[in-house]
Amino acid sequence: MKTLRLIWTLTAKDLRIEYRSRQAFLTTVFFALLILIIFNFAFDPGDEKIRAAASGILWVSLLFPGVIQLNRSFQSEREEGTLFALILSPVDRGIIFVGKLLANWILLTLVDLLILGAFLIFYNFPLSSRLFWLPLLLVLVGLVFSSVGTLFAAMVSGLRTRDVLLPILLFPILVPVVIAAVNATRELFGTGEFQFFYQWIKLLVVTDVVFLAGAFLLFDFVVED
Amino acid sequence: MTDYSPELRTAATWLRWAKWLQVPLYFLVLIGLYGAFVYAPTERVMGDVQRIFYHHVAAAFDAFLAFFIVFVAGILYLATRKVLWDQLAAAAVEVGIVFTTIVLTTGPVWAKPVWNTWFPWGDPRVMTTLVLWLIYVAYLILRSSLPEGDKKYKFCAVFGIIGFLDVPIVWMSIRWWRTIHPVVITSSGANLEPRMLQSMLAAILAWFVALFVLVLLRGAMRLHALAVEQLRQEILDRGRTAA
Repeated sequence: MKTLRLIWTLTAKDLRIEYRSRQAFLTTVFFALLILIIFNFAFDPGDEKIRAAASGILWVSLLFPGVIQLNRSFQSEREEGTLFALILSPVDRGIIFVGKLLANWILLTLVDLLILGAFLIFYNFPLSSRLFWLPLLLVLVGLVFSSVGTLFAAMVSGLRTRDVLLPILLFPILVPVVIAAVNATRELFGTGEFQFFYQWIKLLVVTDVVFLAGAFLLFDFVVED
Repeated sequence: MTDYSPELRTAATWLRWAKWLQVPLYFLVLIGLYGAFVYAPTERVMGDVQRIFYHHVAAAFDAFLAFFIVFVAGILYLATRKVLWDQLAAAAVEVGIVFTTIVLTTGPVWAKPVWNTWFPWGDPRVMTTLVLWLIYVAYLILRSSLPEGDKKYKFCAVFGIIGFLDVPIVWMSIRWWRTIHPVVITSSGANLEPRMLQSMLAAILAWFVALFVLVLLRGAMRLHALAVEQLRQEILDRGRTAA
């Protein structure tokens, strides 16, 4: 119970900061929107062939801007010296990690939902009941993105090159997640029977578990000293 | 004054091992080349170009092993905080990248005449190698952007561990992905002619020993460089206090 309260205190702190400044949130949403719109000019959205590539476009515009959010979550902590205060506080490092991760996860999911709405409007998708699966995909991908992302963001936050370094570290690791998300979404956008959809969901769940556990255990080493 | 002797002693041991391994390595490489170019029969359909296979597969196999060394050395560094584990991991990454680069350059030479494509996207072996290459190049970029010290070694160990955890997931995701896309390649090497199999095993063994020789040499070199850098720093500090 106490653990949960501690985690929530940390998460609420991050969410409150974001609510009051809206800095990372708006930048991330805007960047994602920009990618979506640029894709519209790069490919003709009316073309039927582009329909097949639509799931790829959606995930590219969801994943790349997410890095801004991740970088922001530790940048302010470093600048204000609050990361030091967090480490000094008599709280298990794992709790700090989970608190940070939850905040990132919630914010990313909010951004993703907004962008998903814009995407469905831009591409004039017929709304079918299958699209209710999309939020589940967003949540699953968001979890692995924010668990590895929070770990890496903590690592690079003290470096001058953090803005370039974070995507360079993150995206090679996320290749299987991109494959799973894009292919699962393609089946949702199609009209045929689900073929591999549940398999992709399974892969995402396994990836979530592996990286959540890995990042949780390794976070200790990243913030010590 | 700092005592460098433990690191230098380790470096000396590694150099000694590398020296001993070099003797069998010469023979193994000769056997491996003879096997691939003379002993193994010419493949009926693919022709002589198939001879790339022996060393291509061997390099791939031992590159995976190099990245496994990175994973284990990373865990050992986090557990013991001994700098030698970090230097071993860094050496293994460098050698592993060279090996995967060899795999990714010999592959297209073989793939073009046989499958009529330079780069078979969708083949789990090719794609996993490509993703591994990306992950460990990212490792080197991370390494070069951190100042020397415990923090650098810890971060690199963490990234090396996460990177290796990714390998089976990458493999699975691409295998399932391939089942959706048209199958370009059928599995080769399931029923190898005995002389082909022997040649392949000889090549794998040669590359296996080469991996250890290179990692040990490179690791020893890194330990020496580290000791020299520390010594330089110490002399500079002394000069400053004297002035």
